[in-house]
This record gives sequence, C-alpha cells and structure tokens, in this order.
Amino acid sequence: MSKHSALNTFGRSGNPAFTRNFENTETFSQTERMTLDGAVNKTAILLALCFGGAFAGWNVPALMYPGAIIGFVLALVTIFRSPSKAGATAPFYAAFQGMALGGITFFYEMQFPGIALQAIGLTFGILASLLFCYKSGLIKPTENFRLMVVSATMGIMLLYFVSFIMSFFGSGIGFIHSNGLFGIGLSLFIVGIASLNLVLDFDYIEDGADRGLPKYMEWYGAFSLMVTLIWLYLEILRLLAKLRSR
Amino acid sequence: MNTIFFGLLAVLSLYIFMNLGKVRASKKQMDRDDRINWGGKRRRDVQQNRDGSKIIEGSAEEVDDGAKK
Repeated sequence: MSKHSALNTFGRSGNPAFTRNFENTETFSQTERMTLDGAVNKTAILLALCFGGAFAGWNVPALMYPGAIIGFVLALVTIFRSPSKAGATAPFYAAFQGMALGGITFFYEMQFPGIALQAIGLTFGILASLLFCYKSGLIKPTENFRLMVVSATMGIMLLYFVSFIMSFFGSGIGFIHSNGLFGIGLSLFIVGIASLNLVLDFDYIEDGADRGLPKYMEWYGAFSLMVTLIWLYLEILRLLAKLRSR
Repeated sequence: MNTIFFGLLAVLSLYIFMNLGKVRASKKQMDRDDRINWGGKRRRDVQQNRDGSKIIEGSAEEVDDGAKK
C-alpha cells in the first residue's frame, strides 16, 4: 500500500486527533503549526542521517541486511501505526535505510566505478528541478494526477512483490532485471513514476503548511519525502547499471 | 570530469532544495479549484445537503397528547 493512500485513510479517519488536526486548525498556536521551513529543515536532518548511515553501510556492507529490514519495519510503523510519532521513528528510518543504501551502493560501485555519484547527482537534480516546476506552477497536481501516480506506484509494487515471491521458487520476471530495451524502458518508466511521487510529496507538505497542521506533521512530510527519494535513488542506480552493462 | 559534474549537480540541487523549499508556491499553484484534497474535507454542496435534510421548514405546532383522550 502506498504512503499516499495511508495519508488518505488517516485524513478521513474518525480519530478525534486527526479530525482536529485537519479541520480545526485554529486550536494550535503559531509555534505549534507545521511550516515549510520546518519541513525542509527536517528533511535536511533526515538526509544527513541517511548519509551517516550510508557511510557505515559502505564501510561494513554486511549492515545492508539489518538496515533494510529494520528500515522497512520502521517505515510501516510510521505510516500505519503512529504518524504523530514520526519525529521519533523517521530519524531511525533514515539512518537504517542509509546503511542499506550504503551497502547496496558499495556493490554497484565495485562493478561500475563512478555510478554512485552519478545516481546521487541525478536524484538531487530531479528533486530540485521538480521542486522548481511545482513551486512555479508548471506541474499542477490534481486528483486525477494523484490517481494516476498512486495506481502506477501500486502496479510497480505489485510487480516487485510477485517477482520477489517467484524468486523463492527459482524463477522470476526476467525483463525486470534485463538490460535489454524492454528492461531499460521499464526502469525509465519506474524512475518517472518515482519522480512524480515527489510532486505529490511537495503538494502534501505545502497543503499541510497552508492549513496549519500540527508540528509533528513536519516530520511526517520529511519522512514521506525521504521514502520517495530513497526509492528514486535505487531506481536510478538500477537504470544506470543496466545502461552501463550493455 | 564525471565526478566534478555530478558532484556539483548534487551540491547545487541540494542548495536549491534548501532555499526554494522554504518559499511558498506561486498563486497559480495554490489558488486552483482542482487541488488535491489531502485532508478529506467534506465538499460544501454535500454538507449543505446533509444539513438541509435535517431541517423541517414551516411553523412548529405544539402537540398535546392528552387532548384526544
């Protein structure tokens, strides 16, 4: 399930905490409200923690497995159990996922020297250019846009899940990992969808700051952005690896 | 050369993100009717329908149960 549909669910929840947060914003003082500054600063903190974790994962690649598993569990906890506790879970999520990314990047870098910096540069390049497009109004996220992006994301997750299950039985969906035209085309499509998820994250943060959601939503918005950035980075890494292995 | 280009791209992009991220989106972006409804607010027309259905228009009349007896 995507994080965006989870947001939808708790946004429409009967839980009085969330009802108050979304509909009765005047009960919060100015200092308790979500701001753009806060969300950006918290994203920077999470990025720093992720880089710290990646440094550890790069030097000790065995940390990749616990990092990936613990990070995944923390993401599920943050999304489904306690978005209000995102301030406590998101930093650990970023650090553990950083460890996983560091280990994965190490193996890619051994095979294709220089690929890590290319992937990092492209990921942040896409982040900045889409942020500009969003802020200036060049890209206008609408309900149809969200429906399209969320359904494509769900489809990709389902494809990965089926491929993961099939791998236990010694088979798999071959074209996902192939470096043929279809494999590269699929990777390009997935990078595109991951990038469009960034636009949804920007809109969610902007909307939250506009409505004056509670302060902890800054952490949740930053966490949401981190999840998308990590996914985007991994997909760009896979795409570059496919291109260079041809 | 590759290293310098992608390194600079990453640093410059982060700088742009840190600065542009704190700026509010343009009016063209924010003042739209077709914005995504993240909070799940009720639409005004639906709310009016609900309220309307609960109101009985007309004058109130006192009912005396004992009058029939």
